[in-house]
Amino acid sequence: MNFDAFILMKSEMSLTLIIFFLLILKVWDGIKDNTALLHVVNFLLLINLITGFFGNTDGSLFSGMFHTNNTIYLEKNILKLGMFIISLQSFDWLKNHKHLLEFYILMLCTLLGMDFMISSNNFLMFFLGLELSSIPLAALANFDLEKRKSSESALKMILSSAFASAIMLFGISILYGVTGTLDFTEMAPLLTTSQLSILAFLFVFAGFAFKLSSVPFHLWTADVYEGAPVSVTSYLSVISKGSIVFIFITILFQLFKSYDTIWVNVLNISLLLSITIGNLFAMRQENIKRFLAFSSIAQMGYILLALTNGTQTGESAAIFFLLVYTFSNLGAFGVVALLSAETGKETISDMKGFYVNNKFASWVMAICLFSLAGIPPTAGFFAKMFLVTAGAEKGNYTVISIAVLNMVVSLYYYLRIIKAIFIDKPDTPLAKLNGSMMMKISFVICISGAIIMGFASNLFEYINTITGK
Amino acid sequence: MDFYDILFWILSVMAVGCALGVVLSRNPIHSVIFLILTFFAISGHYLIMNAQFLAIVNIIVYAGAIMVLFLYILMLMNLNADAEPQKGLLVQIAGILSGGTLFLVLLAATKSAHNEEINKVSTNVGLITNLGKLLFTKYVLPFEISSVLFLTAMIGAIVIGKKEPQLKNGEEHIA
Repeated sequence: MNFDAFILMKSEMSLTLIIFFLLILKVWDGIKDNTALLHVVNFLLLINLITGFFGNTDGSLFSGMFHTNNTIYLEKNILKLGMFIISLQSFDWLKNHKHLLEFYILMLCTLLGMDFMISSNNFLMFFLGLELSSIPLAALANFDLEKRKSSESALKMILSSAFASAIMLFGISILYGVTGTLDFTEMAPLLTTSQLSILAFLFVFAGFAFKLSSVPFHLWTADVYEGAPVSVTSYLSVISKGSIVFIFITILFQLFKSYDTIWVNVLNISLLLSITIGNLFAMRQENIKRFLAFSSIAQMGYILLALTNGTQTGESAAIFFLLVYTFSNLGAFGVVALLSAETGKETISDMKGFYVNNKFASWVMAICLFSLAGIPPTAGFFAKMFLVTAGAEKGNYTVISIAVLNMVVSLYYYLRIIKAIFIDKPDTPLAKLNGSMMMKISFVICISGAIIMGFASNLFEYINTITGK
Repeated sequence: MDFYDILFWILSVMAVGCALGVVLSRNPIHSVIFLILTFFAISGHYLIMNAQFLAIVNIIVYAGAIMVLFLYILMLMNLNADAEPQKGLLVQIAGILSGGTLFLVLLAATKSAHNEEINKVSTNVGLITNLGKLLFTKYVLPFEISSVLFLTAMIGAIVIGKKEPQLKNGEEHIA
């Protein structure tokens, strides 16, 4: 008996164990105290995160269905870290929620699906992982059970995501028909530039673009983000999109390697539209969640800019950006989660004079928004710089200049929130929000991440060495 | 032209004709019935290709379970021509243009693809023994993961479907 499977799949195994444990806990129904349960779950997630750093070996299992290497371990660790931070931030919201355990079971199942999706080397596994990571999310979007908006967002999400999956599946089935295999490594050399396979590629691309909510496939994003509970929104915008970017890199760079002239053009169109439309619409949003939705559309555009590079440089820039993005975006969402859990308010004008009574939370928001905008002392600046330099290597300077000009535009709307928090003086400033200890820990993790990542240059070098293989 | 060829043509005409019927018929109930017929025709194709298991599952799952669900929903929603939302002329033209373009592109792409002659009868992949063997050897991981997918679907459906008044400070939230 060998234990290879257990070592290579340890990330999935530990997630499955936690899911089973939570299921048994639910059926047993012994612990009535939500706070105690939350502490147990957070502890388990912390262990799950720590195990990801040890005993990483490369390998492939189940006749190529599942493969793993150092890059994939790193990507899974980024997702787990994000999951842990989100779990800390949902403490205030979940401590009075009736379906606490179901929330975690569903969320961990989506994480399991993402792990399998990132590790997949086969379209069948990939598609199952994708579905496992998107169907439970629609149920999660409905977890503010008494709010109509929440149900609306869940319905919009499941319908549009099913439609996108169908289009992608159509593309995959054409690819299978053309090559006769679903395995990525077997399929790559068999792909010809026949019109049918290029059409199939475009269908697959459209499915991805939908999941990444890059323009013109972004229409679902703002509505879903607005209606869903804040924790689910942050999960959608960071973890879910991050995992899709990871597998998208593999599929573009390895499977569709021979189509690189085609997908660079498609990416260029999509990224320019994403950045411009994301920015223009973010300016006029009043609801913070809608605002963050459009800002995330623009951020995705910048990731796509790095992907046009088509080599390892683009890959490591995208992974590093996503790591920084996890910290900065989750920090911003954490403040929104605090505001929403304590007061139920979610608009920018509600944040006027936020600084008067909530100094720490205001600084968290400010640092995270600076990082998202890419202002120098924060990590966001370096992350964006790597993305743009990776994109610039191809020498497509028109695209680069439009993208960089858009960064200036984005400063306006990020600073608008900071102005509301620090400068605007309302008649009655918001009372002090007593966030839990867990929320504060998550804030500390987020701001230290958003600052330290900027100076930890050896981290980027590490990512660069492991993506090289 | 042997027996299989004749059968193939009959089934193909039936499948395409019924699929057109789904789209073109005004009455949604008729659409659903046409869709069931399409599934039967496709199951016939599976049988020609010696995939009995797939043919039966296709009929049981799609024509049986899912279509009955569709019929129930249609009856509950009580759709008729009057209740149908009228689309503007601009939307109709845009729909025709984009749909027609996609259709043309698909047609051209399929036409240009070279089709290989597949051996119709020799393949035994669809037989249930081979399918079972594959499911528990090469495809065991996807097979197991799909069970997690069903589990999450059930949990999600139960949580959403069983709405009860919540214990939390709901009043501020509804506003």
